[in-house]
Amino acid sequence: MDRNQYDYEITLDGERVPVTRGETIYEVSERHRKSIPTLCYDPRLEPLGACRLCIVEIEGARNPVASCTTVAQPGMKVTTKSARLEMHRRVLMEMVGSENRDLDVDPLSGYASDEMATLLDRYDARTKRFAGSRSGTSRPDDDNPFILRDYENCISCYRCVRVCAEQEGDYAISMMNRGFETQITTEFEGLLKDSACTFCGQCIQTCPTGALADVKALANKDVPGETEKTRTVCPYCGVGCSVDVMTRDDKVVGILPAMDGPANKGALCVKGQFAFDFVSHPERLAAPLVRGDDGELHETDWDTALDRAATGFAQAAENHGRQSVYGIASGRAPHEAAYMMQRFIRGGFGTNQIDNCSRA
Amino acid sequence: MSNPLDDMEKPDVIFCIGTNMTECHPVAATRIKRAIAKGAKLIVADPRQVALAELADIHLPLRVGSDVSLLLAMAHVIARDGLVDEAFLEERTTEGTKFLDHVAEYPPEWAESITGVDAKLIEQAAQWYGAAERGAIYYTLGITEHICGVDNVQSLCNLALVTGNIGREGTGINPMRGQNNIQGAGDCGALPNNYPGFQSVLDPANQAKFAEAYGKEVDLELGPTKVQALDMCGDLIRAMIINGENTVVTDPDREHCEHALKSLDHFVVIDIFLTETAKLADVVLPATAWAETDGVCANTERRVQRLRKAVTPPGEAKPDWWIVSRIAQRMGLEGFTFNSAKEVFNELCGLSPIYAGLDWDRIERGEYLWPVPHKEHKGTPILHRGEFENGRGIFQLIEYRDPAETISPEFPVWLTTGRRLAAYHTRTQTGRSAGIDYLLSEETLEVNPSDVATWGLEDGGWCTLTSPRGSVRVKVESNKRSPPGTVFVSFSFDDVPVNVLTGGGYDPVTHTAELKVCPVRVEPSL
Amino acid sequence: MKRPSDGELLAAWRDEPAPLLPLLHAFHQCDGHLSEKTLRAISADLGIPIADLFGTVTFYHHFARTPGGREKPRVCVGPICALRGAQEIVDRLDGATTMPCPGRCDQPVPVLDGDTILCGDTPATLTNVDSPLPPESPDEIEECVFAQIRTPGRAGLAGYRETGGYEGLARALTGSPQDLLESIDASGLAGRGGAGFPTGRKWRAVAEAEGEPKTIVCNADEGEPGCFKDRTLMDYDPHAVIEGMLAAGFATGATRGFIYLRYEYPETQNILERAIEEARAEGLLGSEAFGPGRPFDLWVRRGAGAYICGEETSLLNSLEGKHPFPRNRPPFPVTHGYENLPTVVNNVETLASIPHILSKGPDWYRNLAIGDHAGTKVISLSGDIRRPGNYEVPLGFPLQVLLQDWAGGALGDRDIQAVTMAGLSGGFLAKDDLDVTLDEPSIRAKESFLGAGGIMVFDDSRDMVEVAHAAMEFFAEESCGKCFPCRIGTHRLTERLSGGGPSDLGDWVDEVTDLGQTMKQTSACGLGQAAPLITESLLRYFPDQVAARVENR
Repeated sequence: MDRNQYDYEITLDGERVPVTRGETIYEVSERHRKSIPTLCYDPRLEPLGACRLCIVEIEGARNPVASCTTVAQPGMKVTTKSARLEMHRRVLMEMVGSENRDLDVDPLSGYASDEMATLLDRYDARTKRFAGSRSGTSRPDDDNPFILRDYENCISCYRCVRVCAEQEGDYAISMMNRGFETQITTEFEGLLKDSACTFCGQCIQTCPTGALADVKALANKDVPGETEKTRTVCPYCGVGCSVDVMTRDDKVVGILPAMDGPANKGALCVKGQFAFDFVSHPERLAAPLVRGDDGELHETDWDTALDRAATGFAQAAENHGRQSVYGIASGRAPHEAAYMMQRFIRGGFGTNQIDNCSRA
Repeated sequence: MSNPLDDMEKPDVIFCIGTNMTECHPVAATRIKRAIAKGAKLIVADPRQVALAELADIHLPLRVGSDVSLLLAMAHVIARDGLVDEAFLEERTTEGTKFLDHVAEYPPEWAESITGVDAKLIEQAAQWYGAAERGAIYYTLGITEHICGVDNVQSLCNLALVTGNIGREGTGINPMRGQNNIQGAGDCGALPNNYPGFQSVLDPANQAKFAEAYGKEVDLELGPTKVQALDMCGDLIRAMIINGENTVVTDPDREHCEHALKSLDHFVVIDIFLTETAKLADVVLPATAWAETDGVCANTERRVQRLRKAVTPPGEAKPDWWIVSRIAQRMGLEGFTFNSAKEVFNELCGLSPIYAGLDWDRIERGEYLWPVPHKEHKGTPILHRGEFENGRGIFQLIEYRDPAETISPEFPVWLTTGRRLAAYHTRTQTGRSAGIDYLLSEETLEVNPSDVATWGLEDGGWCTLTSPRGSVRVKVESNKRSPPGTVFVSFSFDDVPVNVLTGGGYDPVTHTAELKVCPVRVEPSL
Repeated sequence: MKRPSDGELLAAWRDEPAPLLPLLHAFHQCDGHLSEKTLRAISADLGIPIADLFGTVTFYHHFARTPGGREKPRVCVGPICALRGAQEIVDRLDGATTMPCPGRCDQPVPVLDGDTILCGDTPATLTNVDSPLPPESPDEIEECVFAQIRTPGRAGLAGYRETGGYEGLARALTGSPQDLLESIDASGLAGRGGAGFPTGRKWRAVAEAEGEPKTIVCNADEGEPGCFKDRTLMDYDPHAVIEGMLAAGFATGATRGFIYLRYEYPETQNILERAIEEARAEGLLGSEAFGPGRPFDLWVRRGAGAYICGEETSLLNSLEGKHPFPRNRPPFPVTHGYENLPTVVNNVETLASIPHILSKGPDWYRNLAIGDHAGTKVISLSGDIRRPGNYEVPLGFPLQVLLQDWAGGALGDRDIQAVTMAGLSGGFLAKDDLDVTLDEPSIRAKESFLGAGGIMVFDDSRDMVEVAHAAMEFFAEESCGKCFPCRIGTHRLTERLSGGGPSDLGDWVDEVTDLGQTMKQTSACGLGQAAPLITESLLRYFPDQVAARVENR
C-alpha cells in the first residue's frame, strides 16, 4: 500500500494502519478485511448507526462506539473483536432474531436478503431467547406485482427509507410511529403505486431480511436448480446499467443490480429491474419465416430462409444496381450486429446504403 | 456525452433542456438529484412541467420548437453581463467576435415573444449558467427531434464555448442516448457518412483502408439516410434489411412508412418478435435476445461494455451478426466466415482508431470510455480537454426558424410526443413483461385542465387528434404537466399510433423528423 | 373568529425561522387535527417530502390526525400519578386518553385539556392552578436561581428589573465576550439538564467554531418524569432565561435563539412569549441587542410530545423540521448544531443561573456548593413525601436531610422504600445507598446519577416491580426506534416486567441482565443507555420482590 496517499495512522487490532482523513473506522476496517458485522450499513448510503453491531472499542472510551459513524482520528487505538464486543453482538443478534416471523427467506428475495440469517449463524444466535411480541405489520393489501411488503420480517434498519431518499431521490418511503411500534410506510400508509414510488426496486435490493422482496423473482422460487448469475448490461436506455441476470434451469428468474456496475453503481429503474421476462415470452420468434405464395408468413428452416434472403438481395443488385439494397442496423442489438450490417452493405455492395434507427 | 456519468454529481449549475430524464434515463436522473442535494442549481427548459422541472430552481416552460430563440437570448445575456470566458474564447475558439455581435441582436425580451417565457427568467438562467464554475448541459430528443435539431445542438455548443464549460470535469455538452446501443450503432459505422469509428466515407484514405480490409472498394459518396431511403423505396431502393427496429410504429408518418416498405421487392427483417414491421417482410429471421447473446455495447458516456449470454435462446434463434454474415455467405461474398462475437468485435477494433486500444478481453470489466487510441491508453472520460478534435471550437451563427408546421385556425394545438417511465418505445419488450401493465396499461393524452373544459373534453373521456396526415383516437387525462394549448402523448401504444399524425418536417442535415412538434386539432369523441 | 385560510397560515409562517412546528401547531389549533390535505399543503409549501412529513407527524404524541382529536383530554399516567388514581380519571373522563408525565408531579393528577392544564385527583376536582412556587429553603441556605423567584411580579420585565434583572448583562456588555467566557469558566457552572458539561467550555467552543449564524437553544423540553423545575423557573422567572440566553449570545457571537418548549406546558408558552415581547419592546432583543448592528432575537418553538426531543440532537432535528431521531456524534452541536452551524444547547436552569453569576460574581456561585463542588442544583421532589416541590440545594447536600428534614419524610407512618434518581433515568436508590450526597461523584458511585435532579419517592407499601414496569413502559413508548438495542430492549424488558419472559427465575434474570448490559453499552443515546438502570437497580435492591413476581405468575 502506498502510504504517501494517506493522511495519518491508527492502530487497528494492534497493527498500525494508514487512514485517509474523513474515513470511518468501519471503512478502514473493511479495507483490512475485519468483516465487522452490520445490518444497517449500505456502502452507498450515509451511515446511520442504527444496528450497533459494528461496535468497536476505542482505547480511552468508556463504551464501545459504532464504527460506521465514527471517523478514525489520528492515533486512535481500535479493537474490532473482543469477548465483550462479541458478547454484545450475539445479544444484539438474539434481539433482532426475536422480532421477526421468519429468520430465513428465499435468496431470490433480493440482493442482501440473507444478511440477517448469515449473521444469526455467525453469532450462533438462533437461541429463541428474548421471545416476545413481534414488530411490523405486513401489507398484503398492496397488490403491486413487483415489491413484496412483508414487514413482519422487518427489523427497522431504515435502509429502504435511506436508499429511496439518498440513492433514488424519490422519498417515497418513510417511517411512522416510534420505538417498537415503528413501521416502514409511505404517505398516509397508502399503496406504493399511490406514492412517489417509481418501482426501481432499490429498497428490495438493500433489505437485509427479505421483508421487502422481489415478487417477480419469487414467482420462480419453485424452478429447480441452483441460481446462477451472469453479468451483463440492461437492455433499455443508453445509461448502460450493469446487472446480474439470475437464471435457474436455463430460465431468467430475476435481475440483481450490479453494485460495482461502472455506470450505475447498483442503481436500476423499473424497466431494468423488472421488465426482463420478455425474453421468455411465448410470442418470441423461434424459427425463420418466409412469405409464401399465399401471401402469408410460414415457418421454415435456416437454409431456406437464408437462401431466400440472399437471393432477394442478389437479384435486386443485379436488376436495379448496387444502390438498390439498403440496410438499417439496430440501436438495441450489440456492436457485432451493427458492425456486421454495415460490413454486409459496404463489403457486399460497395455502397454507403446503411443507417441505423437513431433518427426516429 | 462529452463528460462521464460520474460528472453529473459535480457541476454547480446544471442546465437540462429537452430531456425528461426521470422517465427516460431514470438512473442518470438520480445523479442529478444527488447533485441538487449537494447544492447544485438546476435549470430545466421544457414545455411541460416534467418531474425534473419540479426539482428545478428555474423552469423555463418554452413553447415547443422555440429552443433556438431561448438559447440565443441566453448567450445575449451572458455577453451583455460580462460572463464570457474571454481566455477560453481567445485560446480555444474561432469566430467568437462574430458570435458576440450576432447574439447582441437577440435580447431576452425578443425571446419572450417567441418562447412565451418571462424575459426575467431567461435572464436569471443565463446568469446562473454563465457564472457557473462548472456548468453542464444535458439534453435528449427534445433538442434533436426538430427541423432545427442541428441548430439546437449547435446553439448549446455555442453556450458552452462562450462560457468555457467544456473539456473540464463537471461541465460539457451531454446528449443522453435513448437506446442501449444507439451509441454503438454509430461507433460501428452503421451510418451513411462514416465507416466504423466515425471515419468519413468521403476520405480516399479511408476508402483504401476499408477496401483492403473488406476486399471491396466502397463509393466515395454519402449514402442516403434512412428517412431518404424510405422515400426511395420501390423506386431507387428495391431491397431492404432491417434489424431490430419497429419502423412502422416509431417513424413519423405511418402511412407513408407502411407504403414504402410494402413497395419493396425484397424485405428482410431480423427481430425477436413478429413486430408490426416484421409482418410486412418477405423473410423474418429470428434473433437471439438480450441475455441470450454475447456481445458488446456502448452507453451514452461512450463506455464500452460486454453483454453476456445467460440462457439458451428459443428454438432456432441466432445472433444478429451470425444471421447477416450467413446471408452474405449465401451470396457468395468473401470474408464473412465469423464464428464468434469476439472475432467480429476484434475486427472492429482493428479498423476503428477510437477502439484501437480495445479488444474483447480488455473490456471485460467495462472501465474504458472511448477514444482508446492504443493499448496503453486508459480511455477518455472527458472529451475536448486542452484541444478540440479539429483544433479550435467554432461558433456557428444560428438564426431562429419556426417549426415546419405551426398552429393555425385549423390545427390550433401544439402536440408534442415522448416516452413514459414504465414503457419502452413500442412496448415490444416492456409490454411483454409481467406487471408493467399495473403501472401503465393504456395511453392517454395529457391535456391541461383549462383546455379540457374549453375544448369540451372530459377527463377520462375520448378525443380525436387530427393533423394534416391523419387522425388518432385517445383517452383524455386532465393534467397540469402540459401547459394550456399544448398536449402530450407517448408513442408506446400501438392502439394510439401517434406517428399517423407526425412527420411535418425533417432536419435538413440529419433528416431527423420533427417528432416533438405537430399542430393538431383536438375534438371530443365517443 | 373565522378560520384563516390555508394560504394565510402558510404565509404567516413560511419565512419565519424553524417554521414547521409552529405551522403544524397553527393548523392543529384551527382544525383540531392535522388532515391529509393540511399535510399535503405544508409539504408542498415547505418542500418537505410528503412521506417524510407524514412519518414525522406520527412520531409526536400530541398531533391528532382525526377530527376532534386535539380536544380530547389527556391524562398523565406517569409514575406518581399512577399512584394517585390517574387510571380512574382516564376511565371516567369522557374521551380521555393518556399521556406521559407532563411535569406536574407536585400537583397530581394533571390533565391537558386543549391549551389548559387542569389538576386534581378525581374528574370532579380538576381545576386550573398555577404551578406552585418552590417551598422556602428551611435552613436559610443561600439559593441561586430561586433567590428572587418568590418576589411578586418577578415574571414581568418591571418586576425583574426591580430585583436586579438585566443589570449583570448590561455590565457584561460593557466588557468583552472573552471576559464573559472567563467569568463563566470561573464559576464552575455545568449543564443542569443532566449531562453536566462545563458551560464555559461549551460556549467557548461555539465562540471559536467557524460558521454563521450561530444559535443559542434553550432546552425547555423537560420531558423526564418527575422533573418540573424548568417549568417553575420559566413560569416565575422567564426574564432570567432570556437574560441567560442573551449572555450566551454575546459570549459566542450568536445572533438568534430558540426556546424549545415541551407541548405539555401551554401556559408557560404564553408567559415566555409575553416576556420576549417585553424584552423586544425595550430593545433588549432585536436588531441592536448588543449595540448598533449587533442583533440577537429569540423565538419560542413548541414541541409536540416526544421525550427524545429532550436529547439535544433530536431537539435540533425537531426544530429543523426533520424526523426527531438523535444525530450521530461527533460532530457535536457546538460545531454542527441548528442548520449544521455552531450552536449552544443549554438547559433552562443553566441559563437561569447566568444572571445571578453575572451580578454576584463567579466566586460567589462556586462557593454556594459544599466542598469541592460548584453551585447549586434544583431537585424536583415528588411521590410519597410530605412536602413535594422544587428545592434548590447546594451540590454535595445530603439526600437524607432533603428527604427527611426539608421535605418532611414519607407520608403517614410509612418509611421510604426507594427513590428514583434523574427522574427515571438513574434508576432506583434504596436502603443504605440513600445516604448519598446530591452530587454526581457520590451518586455515580452507586451506579446511578443525579441528572436533571428529579427524585420520586416510593414508600414501603409500593410494589417495586410494578413501579419498574411502569418506568420501563415509559422508556419503551418514548424510544425513538432508531437504534436496535433501545428499540427492542426497552420493549423486551417491559414485557419481562409485566409477566413475560422465561418462567425459570435464573433464565429470566439472565435475559434481563444481558439485555440491560447490551443496552447500556451499545445504545446510541442516553435513553437506551439509562433505561436498564431501572432493572439493574431493581435486581440489586429488591431481588425478593422480583423472585416473588416471576415465580408466582
